[in-house]
Amino acid sequence: MIDDFTLDIIENSLIAAAEESFISFGRTSKSPVIYEVLDYAAGITDYKGRLVAQANGVPGFLGTLDLAVQECIKKIGEDRIYPNDIYIINVPYTSGTHLNDVTLVMPIFVEKTLVGFSSIKGHWSEVGGMHFGSWTSDSTEIYQEGLIFPGIKLFERGKPNKALIELIKANVRTPDMTMGDMEAHAAALRVASRRVVELCKKYGVNAILDSIERLMSKGEKLIRLKLKELPHGTFYAEDMIDDDGISDNPIDVKAKIEISDDKFVVDLTESGDQAKGSINSPLCATISAARTIFKAITDPHGPANDGNFRVMDVKARPGSIFNPLPPAPTSTYWESMAFVTDLVWKALAPYIPDKLSAGHFLSVCATIVGGIDDRNKLPFAIVEPQPGGWGGALGKDGESALVCSGDGETYIMSNEVIEVRYPIIVDQYTLNINDGCGKGEYRGGFGIVKDYRINNSNAIFTASFGRSKYPCWGMDSGSNGTPNYFIIYQKGKEPLKARKVAAFPLSKGDLIRIVTGGGGGYGNPYKRDPERVLSDVIDGYISKEQALKDYGVVITNDLKVDYEQTKKIREKLLNGI
Amino acid sequence: MAYRVAIDIGGAFTDLFAIDNEGNTFWSKVLTTPHDLIEGVLEVFKNSKIDPQKTSQILHGQTLVINAIIQRKGAKVGLITTKGFKDLLIIQRANRRDIFNLKYKKPEPLIPRYRIWEVDERTDAEGRIIRHVKKEDVKAICDNIIREGVDSVAICFINSYVNAYNEKEIKNILQEVINGTKIKISISSEITKQWGEYERTSTVVLNAIVMPLMSNYISRLKYMMNELGFSGSFLMMLSNGGVAKLDYVEHVPIATIESGPVAGVIAGVELAKLLDEKNVIVLDGGSTTTKASLIENLKIRTTTNYSIERSEFFPGYPVKVPVVDIVEIGNGGGSIAWIDEVGSLRVGPVSAGADPGPACYNRGGDKPTLTDAYLILGYLNPNYFLGGKIKLNAELSRNVTKYIADFYNVSIEEAALAIVKIANDNAAQLLRLISVQRGFDPRDFTLIAHGGSGPMLSAFIAEELEIPKILIPFIPPGNFSAWGLLMSDLRYDFSKTNIKRFDEKDIIDTINKGYQELLSEAKQLYMDETNIDFDYSMDLRYYGQEHTVRVEVMKENIDDDELLQIEKRFKDRHLKEYGFNLDSPIELVNLNMTLIIKSNKPQIKPVIKNGNLDKAIKEQRNVYWGKDFYLTNIYQRESIPSLKEIEGPAIIEEPTTTILIREEYKGYVDKFGNFVIKRK
Repeated sequence: MIDDFTLDIIENSLIAAAEESFISFGRTSKSPVIYEVLDYAAGITDYKGRLVAQANGVPGFLGTLDLAVQECIKKIGEDRIYPNDIYIINVPYTSGTHLNDVTLVMPIFVEKTLVGFSSIKGHWSEVGGMHFGSWTSDSTEIYQEGLIFPGIKLFERGKPNKALIELIKANVRTPDMTMGDMEAHAAALRVASRRVVELCKKYGVNAILDSIERLMSKGEKLIRLKLKELPHGTFYAEDMIDDDGISDNPIDVKAKIEISDDKFVVDLTESGDQAKGSINSPLCATISAARTIFKAITDPHGPANDGNFRVMDVKARPGSIFNPLPPAPTSTYWESMAFVTDLVWKALAPYIPDKLSAGHFLSVCATIVGGIDDRNKLPFAIVEPQPGGWGGALGKDGESALVCSGDGETYIMSNEVIEVRYPIIVDQYTLNINDGCGKGEYRGGFGIVKDYRINNSNAIFTASFGRSKYPCWGMDSGSNGTPNYFIIYQKGKEPLKARKVAAFPLSKGDLIRIVTGGGGGYGNPYKRDPERVLSDVIDGYISKEQALKDYGVVITNDLKVDYEQTKKIREKLLNGI
Repeated sequence: MAYRVAIDIGGAFTDLFAIDNEGNTFWSKVLTTPHDLIEGVLEVFKNSKIDPQKTSQILHGQTLVINAIIQRKGAKVGLITTKGFKDLLIIQRANRRDIFNLKYKKPEPLIPRYRIWEVDERTDAEGRIIRHVKKEDVKAICDNIIREGVDSVAICFINSYVNAYNEKEIKNILQEVINGTKIKISISSEITKQWGEYERTSTVVLNAIVMPLMSNYISRLKYMMNELGFSGSFLMMLSNGGVAKLDYVEHVPIATIESGPVAGVIAGVELAKLLDEKNVIVLDGGSTTTKASLIENLKIRTTTNYSIERSEFFPGYPVKVPVVDIVEIGNGGGSIAWIDEVGSLRVGPVSAGADPGPACYNRGGDKPTLTDAYLILGYLNPNYFLGGKIKLNAELSRNVTKYIADFYNVSIEEAALAIVKIANDNAAQLLRLISVQRGFDPRDFTLIAHGGSGPMLSAFIAEELEIPKILIPFIPPGNFSAWGLLMSDLRYDFSKTNIKRFDEKDIIDTINKGYQELLSEAKQLYMDETNIDFDYSMDLRYYGQEHTVRVEVMKENIDDDELLQIEKRFKDRHLKEYGFNLDSPIELVNLNMTLIIKSNKPQIKPVIKNGNLDKAIKEQRNVYWGKDFYLTNIYQRESIPSLKEIEGPAIIEEPTTTILIREEYKGYVDKFGNFVIKRK
């Protein structure tokens, strides 16, 4: 009989196993989306596919590993699961996000007992489709977005499925990179599997199974405690997504959140229909986004497992933007997925200001610059998210230049690395002071301005920027943030300001200006501490005129606050509102 | 008679350890004087009664740099950057390390935005100067520097890692203009030639922040020691595991940032050399944390991925200087055991510290600590803690542990054993991190355990990780770091980012030219020295990957054959660490070179002690080893004769630490006085 304390030790080891496997993939991958953006997650599930432990680089995969494992069990069939198999799956509608996000799943056997599964979902940089990099903003059917892996064997009993591998190689534009990712992906899976097997050998299979059950029920117990601390009742929020990806028509999104002692329900059924363009968020992504905000407001630092989410219910109407049906395109799914997190955020922020700020720039602002490099005739593609401004919050200004809530331990590439690796010159990378940020007692943070000058005979540019028509929200009398957009400058042509573009042709000397918005403000700007306003003037964030106009603060020529004047002006302004 | 003297400033004590040329050792200890560290240094010297006039060399370890940064007490710094990149320190890498925290706070930049100035200059990625620095621009900035009362200027330009011309140019112009002031100037290329503009900027800013302080410290210390008649050489500990001359440190004070824990690792390596051990893990068990470092083939591993103040949820501030690869967890003798919200038993990271300390100190500690658990189980002697300086009260330990026993419905001893197991498992995970996770098998290593709680921890960790052998050094825990300092060599690291694929035809030329460059950069440091050595290595990866693997290079002038060998070493390492290889070309990222100027090290003489083992038994005590109490022999370390085997279970006591020999193990004192524990 294993004592409680040993079970504690086993639990820690299971979590450590997921982390080991996570680190291994990141250190060996060939795609920047893995090693810089950390757009992947590694986890261990039990034999039914329920989440036991997960290590994340971005929060958005918090519902995608377990669902993918469960789908694989269904597709493969329990009786055809063998030791050293590896399954491959990326179907958005049942268990996925977009086709680039490929999940590999490996059963963990100790002798003949299936103990659980090791699984990693990661963004492969190329899976075929109509444009380089596979994801695009102009697709109207999933078939344009790359290869679909429906939950089949990539390895059987340790032997690679050569036919499948040949098929993949023949259908992707960068077979070297894609195969490199596949190798690293599979190797990292085995790391976790090996650790779990070692644990079973040391403590016995039954101890591990007990420990897994206990870990999940503790996860549930903890979340039930935290749920009690949240405000109870029904909360609503609504917003608009800029467009459907193809036309200029916005999409209404609505959430109703019900919180009680034992339920947390996110009801999205009133939201708009699935879009014509690629912005649809598959159900699995929708669930992940709801889990992300739920985790953030309950237990942001604890390990995540199935138990954490047993009290949750996410409702999304089939055929809607949050639960699209085949063959809807989903390759820029994050554009609407982010709104699930944001709606819950917006509905609850006034009630838990210690945990949530005003709205942030929200969009991944994903960009691709790609082409054939003149220097070595090899294809290149820089695929990146862009950082932006976050919202002000009780007691603090918003953060400037931070990746969005859908990204996480995501590193924006160094400009020096960009200039070596790609035929691009970075002319500037600074804060977006011009457009400003949401004003408030605590103001929003600033977005960025980044200029890419093309240093190649030709290249293409693909981008998808959300919150361009409808910037992020301020709260409690704080003003809204500012929009995300980009401008393309070409010789002899008018600058083109836009929010979405697919495979736009560029030539040498053309310049892409990437601009992200500032975060929303929190609280009445006329209540902002005049010393903070003064600092903003000294640091060059605002002018003296703006200090007066936006904040009602008079700054003297020798850079001091004129308190007397300020008081008079603010009294008038506050009463005038 | 001539003395070599090591003076190590720690958080609590300033230690001195000295050796004369006949091998006699001296040591002395005083309280550290945080208001002015020099006071403690002078006092410890005075205390030791060593004649400064007869001192040939002083080796010094200090905490000035790290304290100034952590307490934000550095100089008023201004930064000069390339036009278009003014906000690098605010933007950073834009990552959210605490991913589920939606009220996350980035590291606050260490200089305000209004003290950052842009210059319209540019170097491209191939090192061509696109725009030169204009004198009039620099003069305008100088006006700002003076007006703002800046006392230290940091400079980092885009692509200066390929070509530092513009950085050097602006430094020259600045120096001319501010001539006569006390303003210090640091440029990034003099500290690191690795790519990554944010990381380089952060490094040079931190250097500028501590430069005036260090300069002042060094000149005062030199002056005062000279007053006392000292005229020998003066060396200071770096974070890379070596020492350096003062003029280097004055220039690059940031290179000493993590020198504190490094001396203990050096001591471990020197001990390993003495005993002919090749692979060791050095474990330092303190009262609040446990640190560990893995040494393969007697080579200290350094990394340039260090960030000060980095934690699980905070990215900290990058410092691109080589730092010995040491990992740390918040688990030590004073760590508090607690039950979390869902009923799991946890130990640390909160520690009872020295005040109030564990409950058994009887100073008001009311929470169970690891030390209390050790006492309950009989591992610690209540009358001989710190040589008897503190009387421990086991009843108090039992009282505070009772709630844990009651919660789980077990006996107090079982609860105490659980605390010990969990704390040890935390430490074992730490060792797993640096061994198994990097492809090393802990069974191929010897564990060197020092620090107050290191020897006790090691008994359990060795069992958990199946480490065959534990060594408890002959030098007392309090002096181990100072001894390491005394054994250090001069060590300077050079590194250059140089991206090139191995299948490009001029790769060998590139490598050889690169190493020649590094050699000429190092020249003035070694030209007057005799006993020198070079270590070469490369950071390599498969083409397309980002992260690199460090591979040894056997000579600076490589040929086809050595290139093949390097490839092979890379593949072996990649396979070992990550479990696979790829059919892709290998790519060079960094060339590294370490210059080592060997110091004259004292010969360690064997000390054979004869006698009767039984006479070293001071008492028998009931000790709880797992299932029940067992009457166990307790030995006094100083009385144990050499090379006589002690069967486990047994306990060895010495004034500052306690050694456990578990049932499956046996131990003996070797010819130098180290205590060796092996599996039966």
